[in-house]
Amino acid sequence: MEDLNIADEFSFDKEKEIARSFSKRFQWEMILIGVGQALVWLSLWPLVIFNIIPLWVGFIVATLCACLAYLPSHEAQHGNYSRGNPKRRWIDSFVSHFSLMTLAFPHDLLRCTHMKHHAYTNDPIKDVDYDTATAKSFFEVVVRIQEGATKYEEFAEIYKDDASFMRSFNKGVLIGVGYRVALLTLVVIFPLQTLLLWWLPGKLGTIYTSTFFSWYPHYQTEIGRYKNTRFWSHLVPRYFNHSMQLHFIHHLHPGIGHFDEPKAIEALKPFLIARQVPGAEDIPARVSLNPLITT
Amino acid sequence: MIKLNDLLTNHIRNWKMAWFGLIFWGSVLNALALNFGYSDYSVLCFFCGFIIGLIAKVRGTWLWKI
Repeated sequence: MEDLNIADEFSFDKEKEIARSFSKRFQWEMILIGVGQALVWLSLWPLVIFNIIPLWVGFIVATLCACLAYLPSHEAQHGNYSRGNPKRRWIDSFVSHFSLMTLAFPHDLLRCTHMKHHAYTNDPIKDVDYDTATAKSFFEVVVRIQEGATKYEEFAEIYKDDASFMRSFNKGVLIGVGYRVALLTLVVIFPLQTLLLWWLPGKLGTIYTSTFFSWYPHYQTEIGRYKNTRFWSHLVPRYFNHSMQLHFIHHLHPGIGHFDEPKAIEALKPFLIARQVPGAEDIPARVSLNPLITT
Repeated sequence: MIKLNDLLTNHIRNWKMAWFGLIFWGSVLNALALNFGYSDYSVLCFFCGFIIGLIAKVRGTWLWKI
C-alpha cells in the first residue's frame, strides 16, 4: 500500500466496502454481448458460404464481433458471473469459452495469465501484458500482438512451480492446439472465408483489445496499486473503447461489474483523490458518454 | 509413445510457422489465384506459402522485429 497518511474516512476497508456494493449485480448484459456476438459470428459462416451475404459484409460483421469478444470473457476470468457461487461457475466457463471462439483464444490460458497480470502489473518479467503496455507506438502494439497465444509460452517457464497456473495453462494450450487444427482444416476447405471471417477479424479484434485494455491504460505507468493504471482520454465516446478510460477502477477492484464501473468510480472519487491518483480530480460528478475529455 | 509425443511436440514447436505458411497461406494464395482465373498454379501457390512460413521461421517472427 502507498505510504500516505490517509484519513480514516478514506481507509482501504471503507474503499473495499463501497467497491463491494458494486460487485453484486448479475451481469446479464455482458452475457448477452458475449453469447450474442458468438452466435452472430457462427451464423456468418453459412450465410457467406451459401452466398446469402457477400464475403466483405461477413468480414465487417466478423470484425465487429471480434472486437466485442474479449470483454465478456474478461468478466468471466474474474468470476464476475458466478460471484463465488460454485453452482454458477459454469456460467463463467461457458460465456468465456463461447465468446472467445471469435478470437480463437483459449479461456483457461487467458484466465491464468490475466490473473498474473493483475498480481504483477507492470513487472517486466512477470506481467504477461508488459510487452503491449510498454509499446512506444500503435505500430509496436500491432507487431507485438502478432504472436497470438504463443507469446504466453515463456510464462510457462516463469510460473512452472505454480501448480494451479500450470494446470490452467496446459488445458489452455490443448484448446489452443484445437483452434489451430480447426483453422488449418477450415482454410483448406473454405480458404477465403477462413481468412476473412476468422483469421483477420481475430487479429483485428486482438489489436483492438490490446490497444484499449493493455496499451492505453498501462502506458508509462509504474508498479503499485494506485499507480499501475492511468486515466486517459481520446475523442471517441467511451462505448467504442469498452470504457477502458475507466480501467483504473477495474485494477483496484476487479469484482466490480463492468457496467457498474462508472457508478463505482463516481462513489470512489474522494478515495482516489485522497490517494493522490493522477487525474482523479478530473473525474466528473456524473460519468457521461466521454467523461475524461479535458477541454 | 512418450518419445513419439516428444518428437511431435518438438517438431510442431520448431516448424509450426513453416507448416502454417504451407497450409494457411498456401490455401489462401491458391484460392486467390483461382479467383483471378489462374487454375494451374496450385503447386506454386503452396510453395510460396511454405516459403513465407520458412522465412518467418528463420526470422522468428511474421512481421517486423522490434
